[in-house]
Amino acid sequence: MISILKKLFGTLLEKPWESEQASIDNTHEGKTFNISVQKSAVIIIFGIATCLFSLIFTSYLYTLPPDQDTRYLLRPNLLWINTLILFFVTFFFAKITNDLEKKVTIKIKKNLIIVGGLTYLFLFGQIIFWFQLMKSGKFISTNSYFSSFYIFTALHGLHLLGGLFFWGKVASKVLKLEQNKILEEEKNISALSMYWTYLLIIWLAFFLMIFIFNDAVIDWCKSLIS
Amino acid sequence: MSEDYNDNKTIQAQSSEAISGGGSVSPDLDYVRPAEIPDQDLYHGHSFLTKWVFCQDAKVIGVQYFLLATFTGIIGLILSWLMRLQLGFPGAAGFMTAEHYYQFVTMHGMIMVVYFLTALFLGGFGNFLIPLMVGARDMVFPYLNMVSFWSFFVAVAVLLASFFVPGGPTGAGWTLYPPQTILEGTPGSGWGILLMCISLILFVAGFTMGGLNYLITVLQARTRGMTLMRMPLTVWGIFTATVLAMLAFPALLVGALMMTLDKVLQTSFFMPTILKAGEVLEYGGGSPILFQHLFWFFGHPEVYIVALPAFGIVSDLISVHARKNIFGYRMMVWAIVGIGALSFFVWAHHMYVSGMNPWFGFFFATTTLIIAVPTAMKVYNWILTLWRGNIRMNVVMLWCLGFIITFVNGGITGIFLGNVSVDVPLSDTYFVIAHFHMVMGIAPLMVIMGAVYHWFPLVSGRFLDEKLGKWHFWLTFLGAYSIYFPMHYLGFIGVPRRYFEMYDSPYMTSAVGMNEFISTAAFIVGAAQFILIYNIIKTLKTGKPAGHNPWKANSLEWLTPKVPPEHGNWGERLPVVHRWPYDFSVPGAKEDFIPQTTPPSEVAHTEAEKT
Repeated sequence: MISILKKLFGTLLEKPWESEQASIDNTHEGKTFNISVQKSAVIIIFGIATCLFSLIFTSYLYTLPPDQDTRYLLRPNLLWINTLILFFVTFFFAKITNDLEKKVTIKIKKNLIIVGGLTYLFLFGQIIFWFQLMKSGKFISTNSYFSSFYIFTALHGLHLLGGLFFWGKVASKVLKLEQNKILEEEKNISALSMYWTYLLIIWLAFFLMIFIFNDAVIDWCKSLIS
Repeated sequence: MSEDYNDNKTIQAQSSEAISGGGSVSPDLDYVRPAEIPDQDLYHGHSFLTKWVFCQDAKVIGVQYFLLATFTGIIGLILSWLMRLQLGFPGAAGFMTAEHYYQFVTMHGMIMVVYFLTALFLGGFGNFLIPLMVGARDMVFPYLNMVSFWSFFVAVAVLLASFFVPGGPTGAGWTLYPPQTILEGTPGSGWGILLMCISLILFVAGFTMGGLNYLITVLQARTRGMTLMRMPLTVWGIFTATVLAMLAFPALLVGALMMTLDKVLQTSFFMPTILKAGEVLEYGGGSPILFQHLFWFFGHPEVYIVALPAFGIVSDLISVHARKNIFGYRMMVWAIVGIGALSFFVWAHHMYVSGMNPWFGFFFATTTLIIAVPTAMKVYNWILTLWRGNIRMNVVMLWCLGFIITFVNGGITGIFLGNVSVDVPLSDTYFVIAHFHMVMGIAPLMVIMGAVYHWFPLVSGRFLDEKLGKWHFWLTFLGAYSIYFPMHYLGFIGVPRRYFEMYDSPYMTSAVGMNEFISTAAFIVGAAQFILIYNIIKTLKTGKPAGHNPWKANSLEWLTPKVPPEHGNWGERLPVVHRWPYDFSVPGAKEDFIPQTTPPSEVAHTEAEKT
């Protein structure tokens, strides 16, 4: 990050009209960062999505009244299993990245399918959990705690669905490729891997927030103040 | 310059931006790095549908954005006529009730800010100019770019559909403040607000796809030799505005989404406990102020999402038509970036009258006044660019000068309103209307018009008619002043905004003559815009051919092998950039401009670096 800031400010200090700078600039290849456009896109999406989810977090904290049962979601439930599934997805992506370096085509193809399957399983699990919640009388309109939970999980799921759309396109190509051509899709696969890792982090941040801002902590904070 | 280039010592690449573009400099005067990035594979449409409707060429998409935004802008204009008819001549539009008036106000505001100005600057100019100006064949993700436009199309269709649903469009004001927005009694509180929210969600989703393209094309798909600091200020303006939009639009998205849920599923994100006719509604626990924060966290950067591209474009237009390099290029870039960053720290100055901790008011007043510093720097630099320039007093230059005057005018009243103690009494008066229309309506419109007259020869290969252009300019400029200058006075005497009519208040007598005058001017200014449409149609049929680079500009968009540029822009080979785009009137040069692609050996005896 510091190096990016240094480079950014360094860039802004250039004097393009001066001959010395001109001779340096003439050797420039035209790219700002030495990464693929796919990875660039994923990084920019990180920025937008972080902004989006931060605003939902902020809205949740802004409207959280003290009398809500904020421990409800933390009881043993399907969410924990879903979280574990998301961890597995990231684990298999790490394996794919490793196999890409070794060019082990069969494993890459197999793990890519597992990743997609597990993601669908996660989404299915989330929907089941929604039904469980509704069955127990916790609807989106029950209170702001559950409103935020539903809206967050919906948006997180939509991001995963978007990822699955691109996963489908990449996977359908990769499955047809021969071993020596697998590197053609390397940029797309590593971009997907970054994206899934990011969505795991966002999910963990949300989970952590449920932990931190639960009734017990709020009570403890109040006791400190009083 | 020549001496420096002939110096055979090896210079270590220091371009801090060039993470991958480092290396050493060849002693060869015209040395350029060999092409290392494979050429972009483009999809060329063959049928009418794939060439002109579902087209992936950024230039066609830019024109599509431009036309659709203009269409919605004309609807916004007609709504403003109807509003002015009521204000100037109450009852003259027999059908108009107070509900209609508020619906027109709301739709006019939202259309003009989001669906006209934002779409036109970023979607229209962004798509047309970015690939051409940075030397790319197209946007990096052309398919996504096409989907972006069609999302915008659907968003506009959904928005306009609200005119035809039961209850009509929302009439809650363009800021859509809850709780009244979704409660009975407000016009369009049923289908109207729902369609508005859905339309906004679609707009943001579509824009995100387009914005992704603009950012990555600028960062990763420039041609050889095109460093960030060699980009025209137009690209800097659009690029920074896109960054702002990418960070600010999520707030609008979250606001619209939560409002939709509050309306449809009875959540209470923005809804406190409410009593209606003695009966407690199902809502409770939400915060209307939260919506205001979300809205203005989007809303204030939105001002700069419109203004920054305008700043960039006007800088380039002034430089080309004054035949002078832009004064303080680096400062101009810093100011664009600085204004962009600061714009995220001023949003609550729109909420002074909502009530806040005085220290917050102090903080936001301070940041608001600080943002005037880089803005003023830009104004000084435009004036200093004009100073001793070889000014061509053509229509483009007239629009640029009109911009500077209206922008300074609107900017100064912004400094008034940035202060809490001045804002509170003026907030609900016509002074605010005058301020934001001057700074965010008329000033950017001046740039749009200047840009249209400037780049139309590139789009069509023909010059727009100068005489018609001058009529268009003077009617718009003087007319706009006739509308908004008196409004400052109306504000000072306390005439409230948002009123359907003044009933029997003192303003009914004291302001009536001025309101009639303002309304008459508004009808004339609105009608004057159709001169441009006539001019475009006339020019397309019988306009004077412009040929290559008619303004003798330096930036890449004028250097394509064909005019208008075809799909892929550059024919066989991508251009190679050797200089910044502002080498005008360089001592020692044969002509008063040196295009960006001119190699040093061709202008060996000039003093470009000293201009």
